[in-house]
This record gives sequence, C-alpha cells and structure tokens, in this order.
Amino acid sequence: MAGPADQTGIVFDIKEFAVFDGPGIRTTVFLKGCPLRCAWCHNPEGISPEPEVLHSPAGDRRVGERLTAAALAARLNRQGGILRDAGGGVSFSGGEPLLQAEFVEAVIDRLDRLHVLLDTSGYADETRFRRLLAKVDMVFFDLKLMDPDLHERYTGCRNEPILRNLQILSQSECAAVVRVPLVPGVTDTAANLEAIARACHSFRRPFRVDLLPYNRAAGGKYGACGRRFSPGWDESRPANADTTVFARFGIEARVV
Amino acid sequence: MVRRLEAMREAVRERRQAAERQSAPPDVLAECEREGLSWMQRVCRLFVRQCEAERPVIAPDQQIVFTRTVPAVPAIYSDEAWRQRFAGGKAHELGPISNICADWGLVLAAGLNGRRRVALLTRERRSRDPEAVEFLDGAVACIDALMALAGRYADEAERIGRDDVAAVLRRVPAEPPRSFREALQALRFLHASVWLCGHYHVGLGRFDQYMMPYLERDLTAGRLTVAAAEELLAEFFIALNRDSDLYPGVQQGDNGQSLMLGGLTRAGRCAVNEMTRMVLRVACDVTMIDPKINLRVDRDTDLGLLEFAASLTRRGLGFPQYSNDDVVIPGLLAHGYSIEDARDYTVAACWEYIIPGRGMEIVNIGAVSFPAAVDSAIRQGIEAGDSFDGILARTRANIRQQTRDRVADYRHVILPPAPWYSVLMTDCIERGRDLSCGARYNNVGIHGAGSANAADALVAVKRFVFDEARVQPRILAAALAYDWRGYEEARETMAAGPRVGNNDDDADAMLRFLFDAFAEACEGIPDNGRGGRVRPGTGSAMYYVWLARGHDGMREPAVGATADGRHQGEFFSSSLAPSPGTRSRGPLSVLQSFAKLDYRRVCNGGPITLELSDAVFRDQEALAKVAMLVRQFARLGCQQLQLNTLNVATLRDARVHPEAHRNLIVRVWGWSGYFCELAPEYQDHVISRHMHEF
Ligand code: SF4
Repeated sequence: MAGPADQTGIVFDIKEFAVFDGPGIRTTVFLKGCPLRCAWCHNPEGISPEPEVLHSPAGDRRVGERLTAAALAARLNRQGGILRDAGGGVSFSGGEPLLQAEFVEAVIDRLDRLHVLLDTSGYADETRFRRLLAKVDMVFFDLKLMDPDLHERYTGCRNEPILRNLQILSQSECAAVVRVPLVPGVTDTAANLEAIARACHSFRRPFRVDLLPYNRAAGGKYGACGRRFSPGWDESRPANADTTVFARFGIEARVV
Repeated sequence: MVRRLEAMREAVRERRQAAERQSAPPDVLAECEREGLSWMQRVCRLFVRQCEAERPVIAPDQQIVFTRTVPAVPAIYSDEAWRQRFAGGKAHELGPISNICADWGLVLAAGLNGRRRVALLTRERRSRDPEAVEFLDGAVACIDALMALAGRYADEAERIGRDDVAAVLRRVPAEPPRSFREALQALRFLHASVWLCGHYHVGLGRFDQYMMPYLERDLTAGRLTVAAAEELLAEFFIALNRDSDLYPGVQQGDNGQSLMLGGLTRAGRCAVNEMTRMVLRVACDVTMIDPKINLRVDRDTDLGLLEFAASLTRRGLGFPQYSNDDVVIPGLLAHGYSIEDARDYTVAACWEYIIPGRGMEIVNIGAVSFPAAVDSAIRQGIEAGDSFDGILARTRANIRQQTRDRVADYRHVILPPAPWYSVLMTDCIERGRDLSCGARYNNVGIHGAGSANAADALVAVKRFVFDEARVQPRILAAALAYDWRGYEEARETMAAGPRVGNNDDDADAMLRFLFDAFAEACEGIPDNGRGGRVRPGTGSAMYYVWLARGHDGMREPAVGATADGRHQGEFFSSSLAPSPGTRSRGPLSVLQSFAKLDYRRVCNGGPITLELSDAVFRDQEALAKVAMLVRQFARLGCQQLQLNTLNVATLRDARVHPEAHRNLIVRVWGWSGYFCELAPEYQDHVISRHMHEF
C-alpha cells in the first residue's frame, strides 16, 4: 500500500550526480534530522530536524525545505530516464533517513522504476528499519564503533539498536555494504577494525566493507550552523586504512 | 613522459625559445611599394620573405623541428592604404582569413610537390584568365618558399650532424610522408607557417583521421613501437606551444589550435581508431594548453573511450570538449551540407562547426545580445502598457533586427587574398580561385549571447509582473533604471524566479523562445552576401563580459540592471550555462534544460559548460560515472559540452600566490589558458563559475 501523497518531510539537499552514493548515476536526497551526534559529522546542518538558517561570510542560507512525498517523487521521476539508463537511481541519506521513514516510504512508493539506496546509520527502531528495508534495493550501513561505551562517547548514542538492525540486514536478501568512517585514533584503531571484521564475519552472509578515510574539511560547516567543532583526535594524522584485518576474516574491504 | 621531453616542455613553459627570436620582421612594404604590387602579389611576397627570414633553429635533442624566429608579421600596406583596401566593405577582425580549418590530410598525402603540380595544371587550363594566373603563380611561389625553408632546415641539420632530421626534411613537406615522424614534421611546417602571413586561429582538424594511415603503416611494419610513436606525438604537441605567444587572440591561449577526434568517417563508419586513443593518452601526459582536444560522441559511443576521455578531463585542462554527432550532423544537413561533408565536421578555433578544407565560413561575426533584446522589450513594453505577449513580440522583433544588423555588417566583408592558405584547402588551386573568393561552404555564424540571464528575466516578468502581479510594471521600470537602488524588495522577488539550468519548464520555455526567434531571424536571411546562409549559435566567448561592461568591438550597448535581479555590471551567463549566481540543481538538470533547444536550427555550436569539483575524479569508478554523464549528454540530445574540473581553493590561492601556480591551466571559453596570465576579470569569472560538487 502506498504511503500518503501529502505526507511531508524535511529535506536539506538534493544532489545530482552524487558519484559516491551507490552504483551508476544517482541523485541523493538528504533528509534532515539525526539522532546521533558523531563528533566528526561532516553534515552538521543535517542534524537538527527543523529547517534552519546557516550564517557564513557568503551570506545567509536557509537549509531544510518541507516537501510532500508526491512533489519530491515527481522531481526525482523527471530524471528517471537518465537514472535508469545510467545504471543508477536515487539514494536517501542524511541526517538519518530512518528518522523520517514514513516520508521516505511514501516517496519510494511513487518512484517510477528507480533503483533505491538507503544510506543509514542504522540507528532506528526495528520495525521502521524492517519496513524500509523491504522497499529498497541496496543499503549503505554505516558502522562506526563496536565498543558500546566508545560509541556513546563519540556519537551520543548506544550502538545496540544499530547492531540489531545490522543483524536484520544480514538476514535479508537486500544488497548491502558496511561503511566505516576512518577517524584517526577513534574508529581506525586496530581493535575497532578487528571487531568490525569479526562482526561482519559472524553473519549468515558476509558484507562487503568500504573504508572511508576521514575528510579534514568536516569542520568547515560547523560555525555556519552555530555548532562547535571540537575534534578529539589529531586531524593531521592520516587514517589507518588497514584492509588486511578484514582479509583475515575473509571479508572483502576496500578504501574509497 | 621521457626526460628529454620534460626538459623540452619546461623550456617552452619558461619561453626560452624567445631568445632565438629576431628583433624585427623583414621590411616587405618598401619593395611592394617600389614594385607597385597588387594585393595578391603583396601577400605572396610577404609569405616568401617571411619564409626567407626564418632562421633554422634545431635544439640538440629535437626530432620535430621548426621554431619561429620572426617575431611579427610585417605590413604590406601603409596604415592608410590598408584601411583603403576595405573601403566600402568591412574587414573581419584583424583582416586576414582566420578561424577555419585546412585539408591537412589532402596536403600531407599529396606533398607540396603534388600541390604544385595541381597549381601548374590549373594554370595551364586557365592561362587566359589573368586573375587565376596571378593567384596560381602566387600559390606556386608560396609552395616553393616553404619547401626552400624546409631545405634550409635540412642544411642546418646536416651542418650540425643531425642526419636524422636532415633525412626527414629532404623528404617532407615536399613529398608525401613515409612514416609517422615525417607526417608530424610535415604538419608542423605546414601548420605553423600559416601564421607567418597573418592568418590566425588555424585549426588542426580531424587529426586522428588524417594521421592514422602513417601511424598504422609504421606500427604494422614494426618500424615504430607505440611508446616511440607516443614520444613523437608528445614532442609535436609541445611544439604547438612554442610560438603560441606570437599568435593573436583576446587573451593568451586563445589561439585556435584545436583538433577533433572520433566521430564518423565520410562514408559513415565509426572513425575511432588507435590514434584517437593515443592523442587522449599523450595529451594527458603533456598537460599543456595546446592542442585543444575535441571528441565527437553519439548515443552509443563506447564507455571505455569516454572513460579514457574523462581521465583527460581530470587533468583540469578543460578538455576534451564533446560534440554530439546525433544532433550536429542533422543540423549541418539542414543547413545545406552534403552528408559526407556533414560527417566530416570539425571545430574551427573554439567550438563552431566547420568542414576541413571546404569551409570558408566566417563562423563568428559577432553576437546577438539577448539581454539587450529582452531588456529593451521589457522597458518599452511596460511604457506602452503591453501584455506579456506584447513583450515577447518586441523581443522577437529586437532579435530579428540585431541579427539583420550583424549580417548586414558582413554583407560586404572583404577578405584579403590568401594564396598560401588556398594551397592547403580542398579545391582552391584546383579551381584556380583564391580562398578569399569563397569555398564550397560560405556561411556565416552568429552567436546568441547571455541567453540564460535573458530567459530568466522573461520568466520572472511573466510570473511576478503579469501572472501574480507581485511587482508593479512601473516599479520594475524604475527599479531597473536605478539599478535596484531603493527597490531591494522588488529585486528579491524578481531574483527568486525559476532559472534556466534547473529543468524548469517555464524558464526553459523562455530559453527555447529566444533561440527559436533567433533561428527564425537567421532563416529569414537566405543569402548572407557571400553565397551562404546564416547559422545561429549558442556560444558567447568574451561576450559575457562585453555585454555587461561594454567594449569597442561591439555595436550593442552594455546592458544595465536586468529583470532577473542582476545588478548593472555583473557578468552574464557564458555560452550555455545557468546565469551566474544561480543555485543550480546539478549537472543532470543543466543538461535537461539545454536539451530542450532545437539544435537542428541552432547549429553553429557553443557548449554547455559544466564545472565539476576535482574531488569527483577520485577513483576509476567515479571516472566511469563521468563517462556515463557524457553519454547522457549525448542521449538527451544536447549538442556540445565543455566539462571542466575546478578546485576553487587552488584558484583562490593562485590569485594570491601566482608564482606557486605558474602551470595551472583553466578553461576560459573555447580555449584554455594559464590562470595566472589571465586578466583579473576573467580570473574572477572562472572562480565564480558554477561548480557541481559530488
Ligand atoms: S550519523 Fe551521520 S548524519 Fe548523523 S551525526 Fe553521525 S555522521 Fe552526522
């Protein structure tokens, strides 16, 4: 059953030709609002669920637009020909798209034969995750820290719901990639990477793992949205992009 | 690239070759006057003397020689007499024929002796026609002069013990090349010499087509390895940069040394070959401004080739520039080109389509200023109490008038005789008629400039002044007159309208309206005065600056504030791109917007300009996506695409520390230049251009 057409959601960006957000030529919809507070978040304007105004030397810019599912789907469908022909589709990212799962669902229901990818932190209640999982073709599942205390320290949240949803994902048939942001000294430690490899190995089906070295430009936007950026790590240190630990567990990993 | 070539490139970048230059060109005027020579004879004498004045320069490790030492083109008439030559008519730009493309393949294959025999045969046939005789005698004199110059280079090579160079020059350009090296050497002489008599923007045409036979022969015979061929090609490319500071252009780098790759053969088969890929590969290595690479594609072009091309785009030189055969060829057919010739198209200097050897077209006689057409329509329409349709009708009439005026200017264009260029064309010496009298195709091209701003202005007026009545017509008129001072609210309203480049049907309909009106105006002129038609185009070269700031090269006045919320003096959109400052939805929407034009009618060329952040080119997978994007450009039915990579931070730094970015190359319009050598206003525009991040 299709979600309601007048269901609305808050979107903070729509990026065409998003080359790192899945296969083919894709358009990525960034949904506003995230339950996590990752210290390294490079989309701080996506954290608050409400529209806000960014202040920068280039002037003020409003981010966050309320759209109906029908309007957003219509806009995406206008590029349907290109996206289908170029082996791509639509990606939902954020923020955390699961926070607006009903809206995302209502949009997906209206897409015209488009491949859909969900880029999620996995932090959501189980039923929401299951419902959306059933509607998408591929999932990018971000996995940050396996140690629950460290996870709480760096993201403000416990990771149990995330690991439970990862388990659910592993039991589904949906194409999936686990993505690990490599933050120097935080997520790229040998212990964390090994724990992630071990976890991936324990599932019924192995995940492919993408390692994403930390981008130093992350701090750039904090000031503009009135947040403080206080990296608790050495920004100048290159991330430890060690794929061998994954190889030991028979997990395919690559640095992207 | 091998060490030898790296050193050679460094020397060219530092312009060390300038040390070899003579202090002044030969004096040709005095003898022309003394002997009372005709115009044709003077141009011949000029070419002969320029060749004679050249002093052979062969660097120790050079394999492909010719470095210009004559620093300028001397006068053949006094200033006053030169002006007189054009009395009752008009000179095109500097005067001499420019911005076309010779039939390099023909001249290489025939050798200059072959061309000489043709000239002599025609002379026999036309011996009772004094004009033909004068022209053909001149052509033979030019051929002899260039062969003599090559001979002196050979002598010098022998003198310094370079028998390899001497052997090549004893063969070419007089006789057909027997090897790839000889072909490149012959082309170097033929091409570089064209500038000696004042021509400029000399295109290189379909390089992979006419060079492939020589490469293939060497490779199959095992005389040459791919690596050695690449080294020769790289040296040839470096050589193209050696004299380019002597070439006239609006800015350094604007010299028209463009070449075309791929596409279809004259018979309609796929023309992509090993040379196509080799050029892309070598251009990636050489990373210099010249030659400027163009690639013909269509809806089915192999993604592997496009990926290859994308890796050249990654180098940030602003090329290749893509042309879509699926729309360019039908456009040329609709304008009277034969199917074989249409399939044989290349670009002239920047982006205008031309047939090598067969086109004596003046592809850029100026621009129709869409902003001026729309602006006066809005102001006068408001005054007269028009409906929106009335404003559209005025716009259409203005465009028609501007088009007619531009073409009328050129109705009596006078081209100086061009005996040497004629030798290089397909059938000038065959017919015994100088190139300046025309060739098979004699069309003129005009561009429609500032289109996105003009369309945005129209749609804003339609929506906010008429449909929604949010801005009173009188208020708008006053606001424009005062450059929005005191009318900030009206400005904000008008600026918030839909924009071209976002696949917005309302805005794009206005864009389409402008170009349809333009095409209609051109189609209404069946003869341009030169036995050709008028081709409307979409490029705008320097007009995005000139229309905003005024320039003596233009008849149209500068346009003040415009109804899209733009302030007086701000740049207009360049070629096909959203207007400056537009928050574009992204590259797909830009392509979708510009796919709505009817390129069968608007066929002169002029690229959609897309800027991609260099971060897009991070890995092979991303390169593959850039290739897919180019394929979508073709499949959507767009005509021409210029894909640039830009790192804004680097550009900003280059403004502050030019010394650290000496080799930074950027695309400006139909050409690329060293960023630090550009005038500040062009630097600013490059920095502010639309950038699509990943
Ligand atoms: S989950 Fe993503 S969007 Fe949310 S805070 Fe972390 S990095 Fe930012």
